Amino acid sequence: MKIVVCLKQVPATTAEKRYTADLRLDRAAAEAVINPLDEYAIEQALRLQEAGAVATVSYLSMGPEQSAEALRRALAMGGDDATLVSDPALAGSDAWATARVLAAALDRLAPDVTLMGMASDDARGSLVPGAVAAIRGLPLLSYGAELRIEGSVGRIRRLTADGFDIVEAPLPVVASVTDQVGEPRYASLKGIMAAKRKPMETWSLADLGLSAADLHGAALTRVIEARKPEGKPPTERVENVSPDDAVARIVEWLAARKLIA
Amino acid sequence: MSSDVAFLAEFADGSPSRSALELAAGAAALAKQGGGAAIALAYGKGAAGAAQLGSAGAARAVVLGDNTNPAITHATAAAAAVREAAPLALLAPATPNGRDLAAALVGLLGLPAFGPVRAVRLDGGTLRTEQATLQGTVITVSEPAEGAPQPAVVLVLPSTFSPLEGGTREAVVTNAPATEAGPLGAARIVESHPAEAAVANLEEASVIIAGGRGVGSAEGFAPLHDLAAVLGGAVGASRAAADAGWVPYQLQIGQTGKVVKPALYVGCGISGAIQHRVGMQTAENVLAINKDPDAPIGEFADLFVVGDLFTIVPKLTAEIRRRKGI
Ligand SMILES: Cc1cc2nc3c(=O)[nH]c(=O)nc-3n(C[C@H](O)[C@H](O)[C@H](O)COP(=O)(O)OP(=O)(O)OC[C@H]3O[C@@H](n4cnc5c(N)ncnc54)[C@H](O)[C@@H]3O)c2cc1C
Ligand SMILES: Nc1ncnc2c1ncn2[C@@H]1O[C@H](COP(=O)(O)O)[C@@H](O)[C@H]1O
Repeated sequence: MKIVVCLKQVPATTAEKRYTADLRLDRAAAEAVINPLDEYAIEQALRLQEAGAVATVSYLSMGPEQSAEALRRALAMGGDDATLVSDPALAGSDAWATARVLAAALDRLAPDVTLMGMASDDARGSLVPGAVAAIRGLPLLSYGAELRIEGSVGRIRRLTADGFDIVEAPLPVVASVTDQVGEPRYASLKGIMAAKRKPMETWSLADLGLSAADLHGAALTRVIEARKPEGKPPTERVENVSPDDAVARIVEWLAARKLIA
Repeated sequence: MSSDVAFLAEFADGSPSRSALELAAGAAALAKQGGGAAIALAYGKGAAGAAQLGSAGAARAVVLGDNTNPAITHATAAAAAVREAAPLALLAPATPNGRDLAAALVGLLGLPAFGPVRAVRLDGGTLRTEQATLQGTVITVSEPAEGAPQPAVVLVLPSTFSPLEGGTREAVVTNAPATEAGPLGAARIVESHPAEAAVANLEEASVIIAGGRGVGSAEGFAPLHDLAAVLGGAVGASRAAADAGWVPYQLQIGQTGKVVKPALYVGCGISGAIQHRVGMQTAENVLAINKDPDAPIGEFADLFVVGDLFTIVPKLTAEIRRRKGI
């Protein structure tokens, strides 16, 4: 039984973000990390491996060369090997192009379970898992608060409007998990040392039998403007007053905004 | 190519969801600009009754499947319906089911995808979307690349459009073209565990009283429920409060919870972490009550009250009751 975890390198939540002249995110300028929600997918895969449900945990990322750092960090948490798909022609790729390329790489890696995060921090579409499932012709088990592998089926626990469902599909599947699977582990010093010797391959688009023309450049969408959000009026602070005065001010404020009569 | 605008209309328990009514209004408004019509692609329990979406703005409705199966299991039927209707754009709710079905269409048909967005418009026939990216630090405007296939798939956040009121039309209903569902159709719900008590749908609430780690316990939420009751609102939470088991996860607001846009959000004992903020920053009015004068929520709330929530919240409830004479 083999799992491939798809992970993306993204700018750290705290990093200052900048756009290049052609309105792409300047990935070289920002401190880069594993997409935080993909760490939960890694954690889920490693727990399945520790429980003996899975033999091999591999990682797959598409991105610039420096994404190798994210894969190395994942290998330091655990798992066996990693593949990076990197090609200058992929800069600025959108959900469709990303899914197309990952699907081509997954055709070669042929896992029983492809595991993804519920969303990437930068794109936030939560589209790649479903698009990869559609392109590869596999069932999708999405937004799992837990993933289990039982015999030849995958099962997830999925939140509903007022409770939860158990959703099942025959393997092979594409699955995505949420931040409810359990807190991601830290890489130990031993893990970091071990990661240096784990195999990592880099594939180009040509290695996958694809060309930039197959991907409509790299995107079917384009950004025409990037700006800072509209500034809000400054915060009004109520402090160093008695609770009664604070409440009186809140009531006035609510009434002025017609939130109470 | 038509000027029609399609939308994914999710049904649950026999009725259209709030998102279906919002997107019907949005699709109708966009379609009207080019003289086209709004077309619903309906799925979920009750979808066979999609004619009622006519009063919400849809001229036509295609039923993908009237069952509780995960939305993505309708993907090949949806793809066939999209090919047949050839709309300019397809609006999808930015809900788990909506995103999954939209994603499958992107994969099956090779379509441009946008969002989640908070605004969609047509500029001289070109579809443009406005999206908050990178945890809301940047707003980007996007459009389909030259020569990109149609429709453009747009994920739309809750409360981006308001449902139409008072309509009486019926939509013309057809069934989706017959297709093989294939492996995408194989996922099945094998167990359902509804909660014992009703859980509020935060996306529909116009007032949200949210509690965080500062609330301290499940019982600590009682004064928040009281305040929500006098304001006609619902109680929400941070992930810290949901993780602690004080409230169900359905009430979590933020990156991995609900994205809400109420008229009033009141944060009680919530620090305002970026992952929480992305779920509530488009609330029209933000009041925060926190005993730490340096809490980050104090940097983006409209009114920031430094104080103990267990003193302020009950007094506020009492004062509002007194004013209302109840
Ligand atoms: C991948 C990822 C996704 C996440 N997604 C989400 C998400 O969707 N939603 C979310 O909320 N978080 C999310 N988080 C967690 C987020 O980073 C914060 O940890 C969380 O929001 C903190 O919750 P809090 O504000 O309740 O708790 P804290 O940050 O601990 O803040 C508690 C606050 O309560 C105040 N307080 C204490 N006692 C009182 C009192 N008596 N009266 C008044 N104030 C008091 C304190 O001063 C403090 O400011 C996510 C994190 C990660 C890594
Ligand atoms: N460039 C990428 N490389 C590898 N995995 C990716 C990439 N982009 C997205 N993913 C996976 O798809 C999930 C959802 O991403 P998104 O659709 O961008 O929100 C992420 O959590 C990842 O697991």
